[in-house]
Amino acid sequence: MATSSKQYKAIGEDLWKGRTEKINAELFAMTYGALVVQLIQDYEDYAEVNKQLEKMGYNIGTRLIEDFLARSNIGRCADFKETGEVIAKVGFKSFLNITPAVTHSPPPAPASPRSSTPAGQPTAPQPYFTLTLDENPLAEFVELPEEALEGGLWFSNVLCGILRGALEMVQIRVEAQFVSDVLRGDETTEIRVKLVKYLEEEVPVGDD
Amino acid sequence: MSISAAPGPSVAPSLAALADPQPRLMDAAAMDYFLIEAVQALRQSSAVADARAKKVEDEMIEAGLIPPPPPPQVKVKKDAPRDSMGGAVPGAEDDEEGLRARLEAIGLHVGANITERLCHGRAAFTDTLDIVKFICKDLWSACWDKQVDNLRTNHRGVYVLQDNSFKPIARISSWESRSDATKRARLYAAMPAGIIRGALARMGLNGTIVPEINLPQCTFQVKLPKSP
Repeated sequence: MATSSKQYKAIGEDLWKGRTEKINAELFAMTYGALVVQLIQDYEDYAEVNKQLEKMGYNIGTRLIEDFLARSNIGRCADFKETGEVIAKVGFKSFLNITPAVTHSPPPAPASPRSSTPAGQPTAPQPYFTLTLDENPLAEFVELPEEALEGGLWFSNVLCGILRGALEMVQIRVEAQFVSDVLRGDETTEIRVKLVKYLEEEVPVGDD
Repeated sequence: MSISAAPGPSVAPSLAALADPQPRLMDAAAMDYFLIEAVQALRQSSAVADARAKKVEDEMIEAGLIPPPPPPQVKVKKDAPRDSMGGAVPGAEDDEEGLRARLEAIGLHVGANITERLCHGRAAFTDTLDIVKFICKDLWSACWDKQVDNLRTNHRGVYVLQDNSFKPIARISSWESRSDATKRARLYAAMPAGIIRGALARMGLNGTIVPEINLPQCTFQVKLPKSP
């Protein structure tokens, strides 16, 4: 059953209204900001901070997806495009009360398979979608200093980790990366989520 | 023509909303997951920072710049307040000290700034008790969705804030023992202690905060210096 974009928006709204406990997002923005500052002081390396934020996000994402699936009635997504729609319109809405715009990659040529195979066709492009956040609750009070800009800090990198962690729990391996960030002086804040492969249910090590 | 404080009919509701926007909300469960993982992230970063500091110190010792450390002394922690929290369990909490300090520092930042935001448009505070009541009501509601259950004072600068079901620690349990759960809860009370201290600091009061935990109840003892 194909669910239209408008229906997803409505589902997202309902889920958000149904969340019983809501808090002031400024609290979150300040806590996250203080955390990033502390990580920068501890690691003294912006690339490492990006990595740690992503890792933290991965752990959060693995829990968030459980919460999401428990509360919503969303069935399996038909394709990666639908995954992007659900994430943008329902996922972000129900947790952060924002709805990023989602744009999809151009459709692949009809002959190429979507998931990568061991004998991989290197020319087949992996589908991706791009989330454009016109408001980022994490960055509400933030201004990056010169050295953070030069060091390549992606302030909201925890979001990339959350996406990766959540999708991995539903058997989709992706790479999520920031493409641009208004905190760095770019025009938009965009996250690109690229499909790596669909995962098979794996037998735990040692069972065979 | 009288000037009224309330917006008259000339101020469109949309303009009034622009001047005083409703705070953006987000889901509390997501915030809880975030805090749990933030503690883990800080535990690791604290270890990394300590290792780096120790490495520098070792290099300096080897180069003969500083003398080798004295043999470890027995630490007496019962009476020595550390930061704004008293340590009641000696020894074993050392490796968590860096983590606790970081959590409290984050709390300081958050408490000070959220207080500023909350005090917007509010009348000036009349006295210290008024400030403490603000913390018990407005700050507690903003952070933990309820108000303090019981406030006591000796009218000489000591206030005791009691929350019978303190949200950050209400759900902590341990399969080992209740005392183990209490020990872990002490760590998670570090950030709230910092929030209270930060709030007081931003309002000009320099106090010490000592949390006492009796799951799920948490009591904060706030010691403020005598007002001049």
